[in-house]
Amino acid sequence: MRYLFPSQPWDRALVAILVALFSGFCILTPGFYNGFHGTLAITEEFLPFGFVALGLSVVILTGGIDLSVGSISGLAAVIMAILIKSYGLNTWLAVLVAVGAGGGLGWLNGQIITRLRVEPLIATLSTNFIYSSIAIALAGASPPYGFGHAFGELGTGAIAGWVPVQLVIFIVLAIGFSVLITRTGYGRRLVMIGYNRDAAHYAGVSVASVERRAYCISGVMAAFAGIVLASYYDAVRADMGDILLLTSITMVVLGGISIFGGEGGILGVTLAVMILGVLRQGMLIAGFSDMVTTMLIGAILLSSIAIKNLFSSRGFDFGSIIRRLSFLRPPERMTSRS
Amino acid sequence: MSRTPGLLAATGIDKRFGANSVLRNVSLALAPGEVHTLMGENGAGKSTLFRILAGIHQPDAGQINLDGATLDLRNPSAAYGHGIYLVPQEPALLKELSVAENMFLGMLPTRGRFPSRIDWKTIRGQAQDSLSALGLDVDVRDDAKHLSIAQQQLVECAKALLRGCRIILFDEPTSPLTGREVGILFSIMRRLRGQGCTLGFISHRMDEVSEISDRVSVLRDGAVTDEVGRDGFDRARLVRAMVGREVIFDRRRVRREAEGEPVLSVRGLAHAPVFSGVDFDVRPGEILGFSGLIGSGRTEIAEAVCGLRAKSAGSVTLAGQDISASSIGDIIEAGLVYVPEDRARHGVILPMSIRDNATAGQIGRLQRKGGILNRGREVAIATDTMRRYQVRARGIDQPVGQLSGGNQQKVVFGKWMSTNPKVAILDEPTRGVDVGAKDEIYRLIEELSAQGMAIVVISSELEELIVLCDRVIAIYGGKIAAELKGADVTAARVGAAFLGVEAH
Repeated sequence: MRYLFPSQPWDRALVAILVALFSGFCILTPGFYNGFHGTLAITEEFLPFGFVALGLSVVILTGGIDLSVGSISGLAAVIMAILIKSYGLNTWLAVLVAVGAGGGLGWLNGQIITRLRVEPLIATLSTNFIYSSIAIALAGASPPYGFGHAFGELGTGAIAGWVPVQLVIFIVLAIGFSVLITRTGYGRRLVMIGYNRDAAHYAGVSVASVERRAYCISGVMAAFAGIVLASYYDAVRADMGDILLLTSITMVVLGGISIFGGEGGILGVTLAVMILGVLRQGMLIAGFSDMVTTMLIGAILLSSIAIKNLFSSRGFDFGSIIRRLSFLRPPERMTSRS
Repeated sequence: MSRTPGLLAATGIDKRFGANSVLRNVSLALAPGEVHTLMGENGAGKSTLFRILAGIHQPDAGQINLDGATLDLRNPSAAYGHGIYLVPQEPALLKELSVAENMFLGMLPTRGRFPSRIDWKTIRGQAQDSLSALGLDVDVRDDAKHLSIAQQQLVECAKALLRGCRIILFDEPTSPLTGREVGILFSIMRRLRGQGCTLGFISHRMDEVSEISDRVSVLRDGAVTDEVGRDGFDRARLVRAMVGREVIFDRRRVRREAEGEPVLSVRGLAHAPVFSGVDFDVRPGEILGFSGLIGSGRTEIAEAVCGLRAKSAGSVTLAGQDISASSIGDIIEAGLVYVPEDRARHGVILPMSIRDNATAGQIGRLQRKGGILNRGREVAIATDTMRRYQVRARGIDQPVGQLSGGNQQKVVFGKWMSTNPKVAILDEPTRGVDVGAKDEIYRLIEELSAQGMAIVVISSELEELIVLCDRVIAIYGGKIAAELKGADVTAARVGAAFLGVEAH
């Protein structure tokens, strides 16, 4: 287990933050703690973000970024809904096609990035607009809803009445992604590229092919998140995925995966998913508007990148941090001289 | 303008980069109007010392005085202010700007009041004058990218003079230059000295050092080991101070003519304008040397052979199999590896462990069903690499970035050799490693060749080629200029060949 989820100082700090945050909400926010089963049920509200974050982790490990995850979620959900409602396709077959479509859209991102040599940031920003426009066009004025009870179980069901289906799927996927990154040849190549693209190339790694697969994985996970959202609401909207991007990127970066690639693991991301999920739900229950929460998450994203950069020698060195923060110190010398 | 600068003295300089102590209690005095040369092996700390004098790095301890006054060189402009200018190893001109703009960068003269206009006339005039004064005949309106390295260095000299700098430090200027260009540079250095400038110079070519220097200081492992004036020059003494012991560059094995079918054949390899018409063979058990100046195309040829770089024509055959169009991964699988020159950029991934690095060339072979890596094999390969190449480290999980240069190089070696290649191309295999490690690496190369591996050594060090190689191919201007074997592999012949002096 230690090999699968190597524990770093960063991860231990995240555990502490999670415990503090959770206890804080329990004590300060009436109605937040709703028994053990109630707490588990809260995860249904935020795990779609977690699914996106898992896929996004793979892309960010290569040093890339995928800004199109939100629109892929929306488009995939719309595709699924149309297949079910307009073409009468079997629900689970439609889900499969929609997830496959997500993979295809991610693959297209990868092609644009590796073959046309467009920066990942610009490439996925552009495809984000393209995909979301297609989703809006397909969805039309009155998007479909009502996909049946069985499909609803994916988003809201619970095994034995108390373990959410989403949570089980998330745990299985998180372990799967951790195995992928730490134990497979693909994962090793991914990390090599993230740390040093040239050295990976010289070692015979087909950098472009590894990258294309990473964007494909991100697309699949984004599409799956869209399906889960559709199941949870029993309805689809073209812009359903728009809220996913900011929180998911923050989960990955707060989870300790370096925005420059190479460094970090899935344990941290899983912890960050829980932290930001608890934060979102806690804020909601405490009565803060979504605007406040979004602002807070933006600030967390910024500060987790900034903190990582302050620790930039890729290790903990408090001396260097204090030196870098020295501008915060009051100007003692000035006063003593006068 | 022609005021003679005072004595520039650095005393007790210490400098560390992270865990590496680069300079230890170093003192150096540059007397007015002399050419003072720093000698030392790669990594001895020469460049760091010059960079400290030029305000690029700050020393951790020690002080710098000019004419007795203590200087605070917190950045390069502070150094300019005191008349100190460093001509960097790679001239840092902005390629897309004109020569004149480059020379006046950061001090463009303007005329008129707000909004002032840049005074192009003055700029061009002064730039042209100062270049002519150095005997450099280029149009200052031309883009800097059209200049040769030698011309760029002279532009840097002119920049120094324009800024009123009278202490000019040259960081290994001659290594990318041809013999003729070195001559021109030296005549300009003499002229500057004649005008009363103080010049610092870094080189490890003995001939150049004895030709130009008034005084030589030798650095070894971050400390000054010797300092001699012009009259005290003695090659043996300087070499001893540089390497810390008597070194006799001697053949350690009989140069032989390899027999049998070539294992690697290259025919008509070309990629204009970098290289063209490259044909060569390597046979099992042979060590072939590739000599040439930096920029001669030798690295580019090797990279094209190994699939790392595009080629427009030519065929590469490895053990009867045409690999001209194969991917790098397939070429490594087929048994041809290229061990790159730039260790930190291409050779290893510094934050990753010895285990990850040692196995990085053969991830495909370590995958079991479902792509899961065989951890036992990984550990075995890494442990074997550490043992065979005597890597000094805490264990296989230590990040390679924490090891010394020589030990990193051994990991690089292990990484490629553990793929069991038939042919290995080693690009500057001993760059940046100390003398002891160098010796070990030579021994390893000879051992591998004795086991039947065909080895190509790319090197700009004459001694290295002469000590190691059975046959030497000299590359000049992207073409094979000469091939020397047997008794012809001598310092004189090889040196002449890679300077383009000797024709076929």
